[in-house]
Amino acid sequence: MSAGRILVVDDDPQIRRTMKATLTARHYEVGDSRNGEEALDRLRSETYDLVLLDMNMPGTGGIETCRLIRSSSDVAIIMLTVNNTEKDKVEALDAGADDYVTKPFSIPELLARIRATLRRLPQVPDEAGLQQLTLEGVEIDLPSRQVTVRGRTARLTAKEFDLLSYFLIRPNKTIAHRELLQAVWGPDYGDELEYLRVFVNRLRKKIEPDPSKPRFLVTDAWAGYRFHLPH
Amino acid sequence: MIASTGSTIRSVSAGSLRQAGYLTLRLLLALSLIAAITFVFFRLIPVNATTVGFFYLVAILVIATVGGLIEATVSSITAMLCFNFFFLPPVGTFTIADPQNWVALFAFLTTALTASQLSDRLKRQRREALDRQHEMERLYALSRAILLTDTTQPTAMQIANQIAKAFECPAVALYDHKTSEVYLADRDAFPNINAINSKLRESAIQSSVLKEGDEILITPIRLGGEPIGSLALTHTFLSDAALQSLLNLVAVGLEKARAQEEVNRAQVARQSEELKSTLLDALAHEFKTPLTSIKAVTTDLLSNPEESLSQEQRGLVAIADEGADRLDRLVTEAIQLARIEGGKFQLNRGVHFPSSLLSAALRQTKSLTDGRDLKVQVEDNLPLVFVDAELIVLMLAHLIDNAVKYSRPGSPILIGARADGKAVTIYVADQGPGISEDEQTRIFDKFYRGRNGQHLKGTGMGLAIAREIMRAHGEEIWVKSSPDQGSEFSFSLPVAPVEVAE
Repeated sequence: MSAGRILVVDDDPQIRRTMKATLTARHYEVGDSRNGEEALDRLRSETYDLVLLDMNMPGTGGIETCRLIRSSSDVAIIMLTVNNTEKDKVEALDAGADDYVTKPFSIPELLARIRATLRRLPQVPDEAGLQQLTLEGVEIDLPSRQVTVRGRTARLTAKEFDLLSYFLIRPNKTIAHRELLQAVWGPDYGDELEYLRVFVNRLRKKIEPDPSKPRFLVTDAWAGYRFHLPH
Repeated sequence: MIASTGSTIRSVSAGSLRQAGYLTLRLLLALSLIAAITFVFFRLIPVNATTVGFFYLVAILVIATVGGLIEATVSSITAMLCFNFFFLPPVGTFTIADPQNWVALFAFLTTALTASQLSDRLKRQRREALDRQHEMERLYALSRAILLTDTTQPTAMQIANQIAKAFECPAVALYDHKTSEVYLADRDAFPNINAINSKLRESAIQSSVLKEGDEILITPIRLGGEPIGSLALTHTFLSDAALQSLLNLVAVGLEKARAQEEVNRAQVARQSEELKSTLLDALAHEFKTPLTSIKAVTTDLLSNPEESLSQEQRGLVAIADEGADRLDRLVTEAIQLARIEGGKFQLNRGVHFPSSLLSAALRQTKSLTDGRDLKVQVEDNLPLVFVDAELIVLMLAHLIDNAVKYSRPGSPILIGARADGKAVTIYVADQGPGISEDEQTRIFDKFYRGRNGQHLKGTGMGLAIAREIMRAHGEEIWVKSSPDQGSEFSFSLPVAPVEVAE
């Protein structure tokens, strides 16, 4: 039984070999590509649950590959990089990655990140039994995970959708950063404010009429975020 | 080149000789004209005295216009004498019988003087106009040359050469006050170069006009009232206005060069910074890629269930794992240090709560401090600080890491923040063996490791990185310690200005 299909994209053959061996031992099905172009080809013909994407690759770099994947797919992406700087993190997340792991990493840490990224928020219907929501041109269908913005289907990654639905069933309530991170990413998370900042921005770009002046996803400075639902 | 100086002097005396020769020649010509008139009318064409008088008058007018005052005066006196002797009765004597002859004489003289002066003034004006025009042309040529200076030589040197070239005068010395250097168009053009050197400096500092010998003028070069250098040159051929324009041109030229140099320097600094950054990225990548494979294998083996490896194998893999960790830290810190060394990197400053910096560092070091008696003391109502949070958290984590490493397991560690005048001081104190006084100055050096820490895992770069981070912020890190009393490392952080905080 497969725990999921993972595509390893790295120009270093040793890393590809190690990843293949260790992840296969954990019951993942693993494919590998040597560069961004190859990965994009593979993603067109095969289905994967997650891509482990090296950030520093010759040719189409990791960031650009991530953008290209995102333009046609909402597969989960974890970026691997040697730099542990805020700038690199934000750049990776901005390009559409779901998470970010610094090289070298320990296998248990990587597995935890993979599990957190593949983790889906359990569908807990709220008291009102909210299933569907329509507001100002945005239609959100929770059971089918479908979002339509002004007549067009918006493509949300799994994490983006989980974050949005977590907001939706708690409207008009400020939710603390830590609570959001632990609910959507997992109990190991809590301090990664940059994840929230980038993901909320990504959501705003997809559903807000004017992302620079958010109407639904409101920031409550120093405290958290709030989903504003007009009564 | 000494020869050329001599030839200048020789050519000056030769010039005056030639002038004297011209004057003699002109005098001879003028006297011949008078003699010719006298001969023609006395011997060949007998006319009355009045007509001869007119002819003399015309001749003097011509001489005065073409020649100068001297020729005119000499000719008019000669003409008067000839007129008197040959034409005025009683002919053959210098006696003047008729008072009208005095009138004739007076008319000759007045005409001669007036006409020669008028023509002299005209000639002088014309010459001056020509000189001005010539000066203007030279200044124009100079200004073009200054605009077109290149970077092969110091600009001041090029300006000095261009002045020498434009004014055909090798004796030009330009002193640039900023570089304190004297630039000579021709090294041998000045007879006493040491005196010129010291006077150039004096002139620039006191902003005063000085002289050296009879010929050399030393003038300060000012820009916006500030002296920026001085210029020494033989001044005789330049009008004051031209000299002033020349000085202004030189001032503008020097200033332009200075501005260009600053731009160039900034550009070079930026390019070398970019190159350094690219190199460091490549280095990090090359080291960390193999480490990633090693680390993946060791951690994978160690995370397998207990029974999959024997006790001995597990121990060996753990050694490889620790080695990989150590190498990773070494590479990371060496690159961090290289990146921030010299303080020439861009700080990404923001407004932060001191307490959130502390808690971020504590989170990062959680695996190290687990099981230690950790006390955190943060004063209430601390002001916000204006720092690069990533770097401050990094160095704080280094300090906590050190405190854990250099003290007995189980001994307490104190971490805190307090307001300290215009700064916020953050401190990390342990109850380890302390640092002796002679070691205290050396622990911030690269690769230095305390005597008590030789056996510990570390890179010896943590405190060097901390000091560089503080330097970049314009703040300080210091240590208070004595043997057996523990060590307290403290650093100050700048308080955020009110307008930034809001």
